[in-house]
Amino acid sequence: MSGFSRIAAALVASVLLSAYLLLFLRAESTYTVALLLACGVAVALALRAKPLAPLARAAGSSRALPPFGLLGVVALALLLRDDAFSLFLVARVLVIALACLGLHLQFGSAGVVNFAGAAFFGIGGYTAAVLGRGGAIPGALVLLAGGVAAAVIGSVLILPVLRTRGHYAALVTVAFGILFRTFLEVNDTLGGPQGLKLAGLEIFGLRLGDDLALGPLEGSFLVKYVLAAVVLLALGFALVLRIERSFVGLALDAVRLDETAAAAFGLDVARWKILAFTVGNFLTGLAGALSAYLVGFIAPNNFTFSESLIFVSIILLGGIGNAAGVPLAAAIVLLLPEKLQLLQEYRYLLYALLVMAVLLFRPGGLLPRRLRRWEAGGAA
Amino acid sequence: MGLLAQYVINGAMLGMMYALVAVGFSLFFGVLDVIQFAHGDVLMVGAFAGLAAHALLAHLGVTSPALLLLGVLAAAALSMAILGALIARAVVLPLKSVPPINVLLMTLMLGTALREAIRLFYPGGSQPQRFPSLLPGTATAVGALTLRLDNAILFATGALLIVGTHLFITGTRLGLAIRAVAQDEETARCMGIDFTKVVLATFALGSALAAVAGVMNGLYYNEVGFGMGLLLGVIGFSAAVVGGLGNLYGAILGGFLFAALQTIGAAALPFASAYKDVFAFGVVIVLMAFRPTGLIGEKASERV
Amino acid sequence: MHRRCSAAAASAAAATAAVLAFVSPAAVAKDTVKIAFVGPLTGGNSAIGLGGRNSADLAVRLRNADPKSKYQFELVALDDECKPDAGVQVATKAAADKSIVAGVTHYCSVVAMATVDTYHRFGLPTVVWGAVLPDITYAHDYREIHRVNGTMINQNETAAKFMAAQGYKTWSIIHDTTDYGKGHDKYFTQSITPLGGKIAGDFGVTADQQDFNAELTQIKGQHPQVIYFGGLTPLAVRIRAQMEKLGINAQLQGTSGMLSEDFIKGAGPELAEGVLAFREGAPVEKLPGGKFFMEKYAAQNYPNPPEAYGPFAFVAATLLMDTIEKVGPDRRKIIGELAKVKDRDSITGPITFDSHGQNTVAAITKYVVQDGKWVVWEDSEYASGKRKLKGK
Repeated sequence: MSGFSRIAAALVASVLLSAYLLLFLRAESTYTVALLLACGVAVALALRAKPLAPLARAAGSSRALPPFGLLGVVALALLLRDDAFSLFLVARVLVIALACLGLHLQFGSAGVVNFAGAAFFGIGGYTAAVLGRGGAIPGALVLLAGGVAAAVIGSVLILPVLRTRGHYAALVTVAFGILFRTFLEVNDTLGGPQGLKLAGLEIFGLRLGDDLALGPLEGSFLVKYVLAAVVLLALGFALVLRIERSFVGLALDAVRLDETAAAAFGLDVARWKILAFTVGNFLTGLAGALSAYLVGFIAPNNFTFSESLIFVSIILLGGIGNAAGVPLAAAIVLLLPEKLQLLQEYRYLLYALLVMAVLLFRPGGLLPRRLRRWEAGGAA
Repeated sequence: MGLLAQYVINGAMLGMMYALVAVGFSLFFGVLDVIQFAHGDVLMVGAFAGLAAHALLAHLGVTSPALLLLGVLAAAALSMAILGALIARAVVLPLKSVPPINVLLMTLMLGTALREAIRLFYPGGSQPQRFPSLLPGTATAVGALTLRLDNAILFATGALLIVGTHLFITGTRLGLAIRAVAQDEETARCMGIDFTKVVLATFALGSALAAVAGVMNGLYYNEVGFGMGLLLGVIGFSAAVVGGLGNLYGAILGGFLFAALQTIGAAALPFASAYKDVFAFGVVIVLMAFRPTGLIGEKASERV
Repeated sequence: MHRRCSAAAASAAAATAAVLAFVSPAAVAKDTVKIAFVGPLTGGNSAIGLGGRNSADLAVRLRNADPKSKYQFELVALDDECKPDAGVQVATKAAADKSIVAGVTHYCSVVAMATVDTYHRFGLPTVVWGAVLPDITYAHDYREIHRVNGTMINQNETAAKFMAAQGYKTWSIIHDTTDYGKGHDKYFTQSITPLGGKIAGDFGVTADQQDFNAELTQIKGQHPQVIYFGGLTPLAVRIRAQMEKLGINAQLQGTSGMLSEDFIKGAGPELAEGVLAFREGAPVEKLPGGKFFMEKYAAQNYPNPPEAYGPFAFVAATLLMDTIEKVGPDRRKIIGELAKVKDRDSITGPITFDSHGQNTVAAITKYVVQDGKWVVWEDSEYASGKRKLKGK
């Protein structure tokens, strides 16, 4: 498939996905939603059939898919600029997708399992709450500080995680997650169980709390949050894809697939694991900071073990190893129960069953990774 | 003095509960190299099965506490043995050849599914349920200490179960087969051991153990709730890991150690006893940094 | 030709007019007005959330069954899961939806705090039915936010005065580490200390804690007369049971969080006997409106009881519907009208909103468990002296 047709396929895929998302968000009745879902599943199955499969694969693996996809979301946000609730949902999906992107780097690339995703998300949020007070520090710096704080605190866990394998490492992150939440709740210095309120976010002079007034376009303030989330997610994708496609990514793959062999080949296993873990936590913390501003409030009971499990479900569903699958999975996990209200009560049960089904029958996830290919002048 | 003794007794009871869960984890890991993260939730389902059995028996007119207790235990153990075998067959065995992390995730999700199923479908499941007191409640006060007969019975039962499991594993043919598979699956198969049967038996045994632990938990606290398995599972897992996965003695040691940490944390930090979990888990993390394979660690070597 | 056409047309028109005149009065339907209900319908507090939702639903049903009502009301129930992000999400949903004109909101104080800005931004008038943190109405000047239940300050002041009058001097406090428990701990300590009460120990426990032996063993060594518990029913049940097992003979005093049937069911009637608890509002069971509420609630066969704050949800919904009937389904007019609420009658007593929209509740009711039921203190045999409280 030539490069050009791959880009074209990615463009078509983005447009279709954005249109579908628009219809989905606007759907009111359960009947419409069910109809849309049925169509979606039918299309997904049709894409696996012979004539369309190569096109779908090309679109799914094209480098142009993430940027086109994000542009599609921007267009969507501008179209929906008066629908506050839909914008809120879109913003949340993007923010959670960014957080899971960090986890994806840790797990899908380096094989380091992190069951404390919600805790790092929370660290970013609390940093934003504490530093953002008084408006002395510029908003962009506060967001970055959220990421840095998560990365720094995460480094405390590095020693235990490095020295352990597989399940032992998992235990360490589980213990940390529980510890984090309990500590915050019991302790009053960071607001205790009542949490903290966040001041408004102002990035480069643009106040995100004010309604949108962009020339002839007027809309809800949430459009700005969606745009901010798109920018951050774009940066996150750029970082992750760059890493994956570089020699760093190659090293991470080697470490994940077989640590002993990688060590035998002279790769410094510890160094690459630390890198993946730290950068991953940075992304999750960054997402947490923006999310805290979006919600306007932060409290410890938002960052429990169940939330970490949801993050893990998202990366499992999205395809371990395919970064583009993460936003798709995040959208499914967050939007579906919202639209199918009947499902609300049963959603944890459904997530669990869905992930189990994926693990049993399609362990690669919805958009599985392709094996790394090296061709002359070519895309991996 | 009396207070200190009371603390020791509290810690011991707690430790016994945790040890029972940890032994299950070690058993599964030893045989199949899998972490059955749904173990805590199987415990919970077992407790609820016992509760349902009690309701049924009471409805049928049985009043003798001894009979009710027997019925509850039998129902819980049997139903969970079947559930454990089902889990092994449907979920664990098919995933034998994939990276172990997938199995961990699978069982984690299974645990969530079990928890939600009870919360949604058991009548009144979202609220904690009263568990009947079927043990004699006589208590004697010795100074500031209160000695209770039911606690003593529970402790003794727990100890008997652990000893019984150990004897089973070391003394019977099936136990021998389990140990053989744990050591080297391929050779065991070559020796004619039915691998599938051994796995199913191990899971059945471990789950039955969890069910009894669940009933004991219910008797001790007079209460069961759909969420009781999650924290117990995490603590049991931590205890097993800290003690050394795959090692029965390690599991027991880990269980009592964790209980001791929690009790010390609660007692030593008087106005901040809520920090006891923070303290206990913090110590676990530190221990993992220095003894990554646990206190009575397995000497593992890998063929590359 | 023309005449026949026009005759035909005229008769057709007449017939149509006749038919329409006959049909139209019955065909005029009442406009549907939507009000939102927000509370924790899943998670640890779901019992209270569902009780609140059922109570609000009852209010709406009763109103719709009333032929004199001007509108057909529809309750939109939303789940805030007791978490700020979910709470802000559903608050945005309700507030941004123009067809929803008012809201009966929140039991969890954390969520109520988080959503205040959202309601203000979109101008949705809300009446809080269960969150007790004072800041929810007092930390800002938003005219949209009101509350019908009291804050925990009143509750604890009355409790302190009562217990001191009973002659108690020493307490050990157990409270959960949520804002509910911590708030109660703070305000009770503040109220009892000037009255001569001594706090021998203060223990924070997590909201899902199972084992209290460590804390209770320490408390045993402190020999308090009363154990004060700030938290919800599940923990209260465990604490009472474990107190018994350790042989602690103190009096147990609780808050509205444990004032539920489930406490008596969970601890068992013998252990629950003599336990004290307090709640804002006049005793629902004794007021005529209250009895009416209990009867109608039972008649609907809801799977969950109304719990301690159900009556407040009922009151909030009724208040909003009354206001809508008076000024129409217009958010601004509703806000203006709610500001004028003074001495409005309700099943929990008269409601008066102060300048911050807070109901200045005068009455706090004291309850004690007697023979497996929560009984108003003044009616109990403890008050008359026939039975004695513990710990003295």
